Amino acid sequence: MKEVMEEAVLLFLLLVIYTPDAQGTRYSPPGKPELTRCRSPEKETFTCWWKPGSDGGLPTTHALYYRKENSDTIYECSDYHTAGENSCFFNKNDTSIWVNYNITVVASNALGSTFSDPVDIDVVYIVKPNPPEKVTVTVMELKEWPFLRVSWEPPHKADTRSGWITLIYELRVKLEGDDEWEMHLAGQQKLFNIFSLRSGGTYHVQVRCKPDHGFWSEWSSTSHIEIPDYLHREKSMWILIAVFSAFIFLILTWSLHMSSHSLKHCILPPVPGPKIKGFDKQLLKNGKSEDLLRVLVVSDFPPTTPSNYEDMLVEYLEVYVPQEQEVLLEESKDLHDSCLKFEGSTSDNDSGRVSCDSHTLLMDKCGEAKEEGRQTDQEDSTTEAEAQGQQKDWDQDTLMYANGDILSPEKSSGRVKTWPSVFSPLPQYTLSLPDQTSSLEMAKQHCYSDSLFCPGSTSSYLTHLGNNDNETLGPGSWEICLSNRQPYSHIPQMQTCQQVRSHSDVNISTIARKQEPAGLPLPFFRPTAYVEVQRFDEEDMVVLQSIVSDHGFHEGFPQMLQQEDYSKVKGVDSNNMLLLQTEAMKEDGDGCRCQDQVTNGVTESSCTLSISTTPHKPTAHIHTVVSTQDEMAQPASGYVDTATIFTLPTY
Amino acid sequence: AAEARWLTKEPLEVNYLLQVRSVLLYMVVSSSAVPVTDLLDRASQRSDKLHALSTSLSQELNSHLPLIGRVITPRPSMCHTAALQTPTDKTQTLQLSEANLLSLARSLLQAWMDPLVDISTSANSLPHPARNIISNQVQELQEHSKSLEDGLDILSRKMGPVAQTISFLPYLRGNDISQDRISSLINLQFLMSCFRRDSHKIDSFLKVLRCRAAKLQPQMC
Repeated sequence: MKEVMEEAVLLFLLLVIYTPDAQGTRYSPPGKPELTRCRSPEKETFTCWWKPGSDGGLPTTHALYYRKENSDTIYECSDYHTAGENSCFFNKNDTSIWVNYNITVVASNALGSTFSDPVDIDVVYIVKPNPPEKVTVTVMELKEWPFLRVSWEPPHKADTRSGWITLIYELRVKLEGDDEWEMHLAGQQKLFNIFSLRSGGTYHVQVRCKPDHGFWSEWSSTSHIEIPDYLHREKSMWILIAVFSAFIFLILTWSLHMSSHSLKHCILPPVPGPKIKGFDKQLLKNGKSEDLLRVLVVSDFPPTTPSNYEDMLVEYLEVYVPQEQEVLLEESKDLHDSCLKFEGSTSDNDSGRVSCDSHTLLMDKCGEAKEEGRQTDQEDSTTEAEAQGQQKDWDQDTLMYANGDILSPEKSSGRVKTWPSVFSPLPQYTLSLPDQTSSLEMAKQHCYSDSLFCPGSTSSYLTHLGNNDNETLGPGSWEICLSNRQPYSHIPQMQTCQQVRSHSDVNISTIARKQEPAGLPLPFFRPTAYVEVQRFDEEDMVVLQSIVSDHGFHEGFPQMLQQEDYSKVKGVDSNNMLLLQTEAMKEDGDGCRCQDQVTNGVTESSCTLSISTTPHKPTAHIHTVVSTQDEMAQPASGYVDTATIFTLPTY
Repeated sequence: AAEARWLTKEPLEVNYLLQVRSVLLYMVVSSSAVPVTDLLDRASQRSDKLHALSTSLSQELNSHLPLIGRVITPRPSMCHTAALQTPTDKTQTLQLSEANLLSLARSLLQAWMDPLVDISTSANSLPHPARNIISNQVQELQEHSKSLEDGLDILSRKMGPVAQTISFLPYLRGNDISQDRISSLINLQFLMSCFRRDSHKIDSFLKVLRCRAAKLQPQMC
């Protein structure tokens, strides 16, 4: 019993002594090591590394054992130090290629040893060379465009000369501060040129290599190279930018030009043109004046039955040629591009009715034809003084306007076209002779229309306003006054159309004065002749035809009304005067005797041609071309025809 | 003429490892005889491609092999070409003559012509998700082997009788019918590992030969 007790105490003591403390380390055999990798730099030697496991608290040693495939002999690694900690270096004598190695690492300590998992390797498959050596980077210049030349050598251990190892190379470049490298594969060559450079920067270059069936080496140490600044590079970029901007600018200009039409339309809306019943604008564009006039010639003219009054609206055309030789009339095709403002006219777009009040006929240069102008009931009250008072205003900015026609001084086409008088349903046109004795004042139309439409009667007169202060109708001045009136009305229509300032371009001599209608105490009565534009002939002649009043209103001119007369613009003389002649079909020629031709010194009588456009069709334009011929037609011939087109001086 | 025909065969993929030589240009320059360097260069390219194909195929098979198969894979010493005495290190390899090198290469290549047929058959019957890929690669392998064999044949005629000696290496076909799927797979992988090594040998020999023949063109090495 006692012995058992002693043994128990001894055992207890032993346990106490040998049992480790609760806070002490526990010893155990080492943990399992692990072969991490084996590498051969040149296919002649190789190295294996392992990672040891836990050491179990005791000093642990590691050993590497290997076996070759065709023998069972186990060898131990002979060199644990060359390659560093936990490594085994196989020298040339120990290295065989095309032979499988079975390698195991053993960790041992006092308590035991642990074997790692075996690894089978073949040296030829684990080749990873050293990085390339002697990497040199130089900046080469080729016609001001520098490039980098990188050269290197294979690692000194790799035997490439005998063909034992075949290496391919790769390099990478980046600017200092960049994050991404630019890779370049160089193949088997040992020289490489890099062209994509930016001047003024520092580049980093690295090279690495790889055997034909192996692993990539590490990157070589970085080579730094600085590229000197090259100004011309930047300059070329600026040139590129300049060219690009110019191109953009051209595109913008072109697009602006292309849309200029719509822009202009938006900013300067067009003035609607006259509407002439039966008039085909397209016909006019085609240029066949004969057909055009034929259209105008309506069978029922003169109307036997009273037609709509609205049809008999004739507008006054006031022509103003500014100092700078603005064109009088515009081509019909510019109808909608008019820059004229028809102020105060009561004419709508269609009818072209204009108030007789001249001051309402002011034109702005760029305006719209106001459909509802100022109502002109003032024609009765207009006086000469008013006319004169407004003269200055007109001088400054009046423009020639046709009812609905486009008159744009800037658009002078070199032609002066007078609008033909209204035709078919408009029976009567008054031609007023300018009072040559009167000074060239701004004509103010006094319209004493007998018709009820006078306030709104369409009387269009064409006044050529010039800035000249010529007393007479100097060159370029002409006045055409048209007014229509009711054929039924017995109120004599008086119309005074004063001669406006002359313009150097066109002169329209007055038409032969007619007898004053009796009982017309108007101081500025002008004889009137009624013509109608019958047609255009191919010579751009406007053939005027006098109109016979049904009611015999033109008593004073019976002969004139007997037959159809042609009044044609004879031509324009050297003074740029439009000479018109009436057809001397009548004996006395009284109907259209032209007196007092208001020209510079020319005493020939010729009828002023009054031409106006009808308000009916805004699109209809008939314009006569006044020629500037020097010769004057014989008064007796009675024909005033527009001979040829003359070109106005540039406006 | 035969050389020219071999060289102008369908161009291989340009292996990034090797430069593509303008062989046709040489042919134009030297009408009748094609330089050995060019032939060797071409042959090296083909052998390089062959080895790359075998490596990828072997890795493909390994990825699908069950773990147990790895353990019981036969050792490479049991390859049927192990009987051929080949150098085991650099020194031994460089000591060999050019004719010897070529002879060894040709022998190895010849030894694999029949086994490749078996491999192809076996790969087609694989119960394998990647069967098509493996089959295609095996097919490609066969084509390259044949092409290389022809080229080396032409080359050997230029290098004397020793080069034309081919060692016969018998190949013993296994009993395929009795093998189960795992066994056939293991066998296939074993064959591929053997072929991978042998193709590496061939490639190495030819590259050493190429460097030796191109003493005037150091850029080849």
